[in-house]
Amino acid sequence: MMTKQIHLWAFLQGIGFYPTGWKHPRARPEGVFSMDYYRSVAKLVEKGRFDAIVFGDQLQSRGAGGRTPERMAMPTLDPVSLLTAMSAVTEHVGLVATISTTYNTPEMLAERFAAMERITGGRSGWNIVTSAHPDTAPNFGEAELPPKDTRYSHAAEVVDKACELWAAMDRAGPRLPQGRPVLVQAGQSPAGRDFAARTAEAIFCPAASIEAGIDFRNDLRSRIAGLGRNPDGTRIMPGLSCVLGGSEEEAKANHKAIMDLADVALAIEYLSESLCCDLTPFDPEAPLPVAAIIANTLLPKSDVERMVASAAEKGTSLRDYAMNFMLHPRGHNVFIGTPEQMADMMISWRDAGACDGFTLQPSYMPGGLEDFVGEVVPILQKKGRYRTEYPGNSLRETLGLPAFARADA
Amino acid sequence: MTRPFILSAAIADPQLAVPATAAAWLDAAEAAGLDLLHFGEAGARPFDAQVLVAWAAPLTKRVGLVACVPASNAHPFHVARALSAVDFLCSGRTAWSVVPEGASEGMAEDMIGAARALWDGWGSDTLILDKTGGRYLDAAKVKASNYEGPFFKVAGPVNAMRPLVGQPLLVTYEAAPLAITDADIALVASPQKAAGATKTLLKITFETPLEEIAQHFAEGVIDGVHLSLTDPLAELPALAQRFAALVAANPGGAGNLRERLGLPLPATASNQPDGAKIPEIA
Repeated sequence: MMTKQIHLWAFLQGIGFYPTGWKHPRARPEGVFSMDYYRSVAKLVEKGRFDAIVFGDQLQSRGAGGRTPERMAMPTLDPVSLLTAMSAVTEHVGLVATISTTYNTPEMLAERFAAMERITGGRSGWNIVTSAHPDTAPNFGEAELPPKDTRYSHAAEVVDKACELWAAMDRAGPRLPQGRPVLVQAGQSPAGRDFAARTAEAIFCPAASIEAGIDFRNDLRSRIAGLGRNPDGTRIMPGLSCVLGGSEEEAKANHKAIMDLADVALAIEYLSESLCCDLTPFDPEAPLPVAAIIANTLLPKSDVERMVASAAEKGTSLRDYAMNFMLHPRGHNVFIGTPEQMADMMISWRDAGACDGFTLQPSYMPGGLEDFVGEVVPILQKKGRYRTEYPGNSLRETLGLPAFARADA
Repeated sequence: MTRPFILSAAIADPQLAVPATAAAWLDAAEAAGLDLLHFGEAGARPFDAQVLVAWAAPLTKRVGLVACVPASNAHPFHVARALSAVDFLCSGRTAWSVVPEGASEGMAEDMIGAARALWDGWGSDTLILDKTGGRYLDAAKVKASNYEGPFFKVAGPVNAMRPLVGQPLLVTYEAAPLAITDADIALVASPQKAAGATKTLLKITFETPLEEIAQHFAEGVIDGVHLSLTDPLAELPALAQRFAALVAANPGGAGNLRERLGLPLPATASNQPDGAKIPEIA
């Protein structure tokens, strides 16, 4: 029996996984404003035989309480533009763009993806998201986001309508190379998981541990099967960041070096963004201003109360809370160790059914990606667990998914 | 500086979305020394031009990339971000037009107003990128737009740096008129200086007498010509050959599309005199 192959995606938004990443000596924060950077990164991803490059997106105006952060990198360029340009300098790698169903009509996004699908020769994917950040609504003429359950039912309608539009375009010709973009989703809540189970051909998710990965994948596979879909038709790709070193000690030192780039002001800005409440006016040495946070946050207050409950009880200072918060961004698996150990960890996750592969989030760019492609990919290949050549040209072929059954086929 | 004679052409063939064909056409446009290549135009928009100009960005070096955007099927927040990204990818060669077909009256103008307000929300020298000091940007230079038009209300600020050209060059069509008085370039059917634009390009065919074009240019009535292409591989070299003498005196040289074509930002629309500056890092 063939050993289980590992799929890899490269999640490349911004200048890396860590908020401090842009300050790293091997980060190129100026590069993200030039094609040279995207050309070299795209070619590196393709050299690493990744399935796809994924860009996230944000439609909100940045800055809690209207205060634009100064110390956080904010290179939020339009993902469709970046990915389409990267497709022009590559041949195989897939391009997965995040587009919100909340603030795009089906007609808008169907037209965008149809063009992307054609000009990339069938390498496009759509990471379907709903907009959850309250500061998004005013950019689209609204005071508030629609309620969460409405956002998901609306998303389902938008996806259905977009698929109808692609089917019509495909029938009218010229054909869309894959029939439609590959549908990707990142749902977490029960409603989000149901939506993913119904729609997604690939799923991006956080899973901080192998157990969390197994639970998530089993849950999604049973939801998918429950809807009469084949669970093997969906790739589950948890996030993975890493800091590598020639020895464990060196890796730990490299990780510490990234963490040491954090300053309190940056940590407080990052926390402010995450809690949707401007904490920069508060004394860093005083206890976390829990009452003010709950009163002012634009996020659901119960979610925020849960987040800060333990700090409220212990009287943790704003400084300590913010600095600790920066150590664990976004609940993803962070690996710190040698390339050999990392390859073994990835194989063990795959063999345990914790994932179909990983969505790599380099800790800083492009240095973190260079290390992974140069040091971990060859080990996975040598162990026979990772491709050395692409199987075809379309993203669907690369993902090993069955061809999309066209409506008129 | 010498006033450049501007060569402009449009392709509205769906084959422009097919990579092999598109690559050959882009090469031909570059070889012809074209100043502006329009991806679709008023009345002929068979693809999403915003996507195709992104694809063209790394495959071209000189030609201006004009995205024809439908007022009926776009939102200024998305358009502002997409064209901002494209402008960085092509090192400052982005232009756009907004076609009113199928949209309510005034919607195209509203989209232009909103997108310009978003582009102007970031100062040209907002980015600092100081790794040692830890300041990525100067927040005092990022301003909310608070744009409120009849169709679009966009608070902003946009979450993307101002383009290198400041605002992508705005092209208007006499055939699809807009209530815009400060466009960069207008395409007109008869040789008469456009009232609402800095530069006027005459729509021509290969039958339009060359001497008349040269005379209109010399008199300052027009600033160049525009041709709608039906067979780009044949027409682009022919266009270059036909106008070789007129473009020979062009200053050429480096700089972004605004600088090269002599199109400063319209003062009425912009509170920023120039485009983005990206700090260099040692």
